[in-house]
Amino acid sequence: MAQKNKAYRSIRLREFKRAYSFLLPAMILLAIFVIYPIIGTIIISFEGESSLTLDNYIAVLTEKSPSKALILTDNIGKTPPWGALVHNIVWIAIHVPVTTFLGLILAYALVHVYGRSIVKSLVFLSMVIPMVVGGLIIRFIFDAQVGVIPRLFSLIGLEGLSRTWTAYPQTALFSLIIGSIWLWLGFSLTIHSAAVDSIPKSFIEAARIDGASELQIFRHIVAPSVWPATLTVMVMTLLWDLKIFDIVYAATQGGPGGSSTVLAYVMWLYFARALDYGKAAATAVILTILTLIAASYMIRRSLRGG
Amino acid sequence: MARVELRDVVKRFGKTVAVDHVSLEINDKEFFILLGPSGCGKTTTLRLVAGLEYPDEGSILIDGEDVTYSEPKDRNVAMVFQNYALYPNMSVYDNIAFPLKIRKKQLGITDDEIRKSVTEVARLLRIEDLLNRKPSQLSGGQQQRVALARALVRRPKIWLMDEPLSNLDALLRIAMRAELKRLQKELGITTIYVTHDQAEAMSMADRIAVMNKGRVIQVGDPKEVFLEPRHVFVATFLGSPPMNIIECVIEAIDNGLLLSCPGFTKEIKGVSSDEVDGVKGKVYLGIRPEFISISKSPLPGTIKGVVYVVEPLGTENIVSVNIIGDIIVKVKVGSDINVNTGETIYLYPDWKRISIFDSDTGKLLTRITKQLREEYTEEAMV
Repeated sequence: MAQKNKAYRSIRLREFKRAYSFLLPAMILLAIFVIYPIIGTIIISFEGESSLTLDNYIAVLTEKSPSKALILTDNIGKTPPWGALVHNIVWIAIHVPVTTFLGLILAYALVHVYGRSIVKSLVFLSMVIPMVVGGLIIRFIFDAQVGVIPRLFSLIGLEGLSRTWTAYPQTALFSLIIGSIWLWLGFSLTIHSAAVDSIPKSFIEAARIDGASELQIFRHIVAPSVWPATLTVMVMTLLWDLKIFDIVYAATQGGPGGSSTVLAYVMWLYFARALDYGKAAATAVILTILTLIAASYMIRRSLRGG
Repeated sequence: MARVELRDVVKRFGKTVAVDHVSLEINDKEFFILLGPSGCGKTTTLRLVAGLEYPDEGSILIDGEDVTYSEPKDRNVAMVFQNYALYPNMSVYDNIAFPLKIRKKQLGITDDEIRKSVTEVARLLRIEDLLNRKPSQLSGGQQQRVALARALVRRPKIWLMDEPLSNLDALLRIAMRAELKRLQKELGITTIYVTHDQAEAMSMADRIAVMNKGRVIQVGDPKEVFLEPRHVFVATFLGSPPMNIIECVIEAIDNGLLLSCPGFTKEIKGVSSDEVDGVKGKVYLGIRPEFISISKSPLPGTIKGVVYVVEPLGTENIVSVNIIGDIIVKVKVGSDINVNTGETIYLYPDWKRISIFDSDTGKLLTRITKQLREEYTEEAMV
């Protein structure tokens, strides 16, 4: 018995050594290029004049100038600027439900449509476009001269919405949010499509024979069946909204007057414009903590193997 | 009361004809089975009755009312699917209650009445203890019962079943056969049942429709389709092992026909070739393995053969006998009869049970078959 155990252990040891000899190169690279910078950033974020302090965090969170503020407390109006963090939250509050729901509805509606693969690829096209290009396109879409959307509103006679959206603080943030719905819908549609396709046809047929209406089938059969996919879409969209940078950079530069800044853009401003690495690092850590909270659900799920 | 009638129904998928001019009449309270190999159109036929597909031609009537193009929900049918189609997100109770819940307003029923109906059906199918579970926590047999309960709770006019037993293991399948048949008879619900399993069809059906390539080949009660196949397809699809089919040559002689088969010849008196319109040359002689006896000594009228292989099945043995060349005939004999591979034996077919089919169309040659059988009935009487 003891001998058997010994043999078993030596096999395990051999397997262990072999596995790690394969993993080692990747782990070295990870340590140099990922783990070291993360630790470095955290240290920088706490660096003050002489010792480690919380000064950077306090300064970043209490910043009052609209272009850099995370949460604007003074002179807060009905329209942006409200502060970058609030903008992110507004973004999430609009974008996550709309994109998720539209993607699900489209995915189910397209099941019955002839030539659905063409429609799907058209929607998915927005996922292939680099986000910087997407930002530029948003700028054009909402331009008073060439854009579709201001033109549409001028046809209806809504003066306030027939000008260049990105140039006015009232509309800049919302033009980006609406644009991001278009850019991100492909993701929601693709994930939901795969989920809808995997619902056994007999589920829907059984419900139809039992007398369920299309709406009832959608509510009682389709939506619950694709719930795991919906949850994934919601979490991924939320993460994307938290990290959003490139379309803001390309379309509005956070303007006008800080009315469309977001966390990641503020971080970039501290880093590349103000060259204030301490505050940039502090903003980065805040952003990372927020994403980690949102991602923890996904991480826990994948650890469970779900 | 529920009669179903299909009149000359055609269903095409692109260029494929899935259902080819099918006409069927299913009687009230009947257990009607559509039997055939996969791709024969039996499931499509069932789906046409359910309203999940609409026919290209023909009409479908339930109780004399034309429902060809009406919605599934307006037909008052219930269907049990091969994979049961239990909704994984709902409990067993909710699954069974679903058909009632979604039509609560139309039916004008209360939650209490739903609860009562569900409990009643659950008791009938002995699944009262499972009502709070999720489908994923059930065994295959239990899922099957839940699916049946869901199809029953609404008291439908017609039960449609698409291979409901084929996902069960062999023992459970046999147990469920008997139970399903009892349930159907007890409740008296007209049932259309699709299967490719001939044993299932034989054991459960009041009547069977054998289908192949979108057509109904033969309709009859189990005994009829087994003993009196109207087509060589039916003969070879039913039975295990299926009917032996031997290719023979038929020709006219003085007072009848001469059947020349590999290893033996047979005279059929009293029929002339004119009477069997246009049959010349090749025919198929069919005899079921059950209707051949074995003898170890050469009695008159026996066919000589060599034992090729013996398959013991417990109570009976299936003996493959090589008659001549590569012609093999299977014989079912009691397990008390001992024969060994390579042994020479003599086969005695029961001529009263023989069928002769046209080699071109595969159809039964009624006149010749009848004549041949009559001869032996008379002979037996003498």
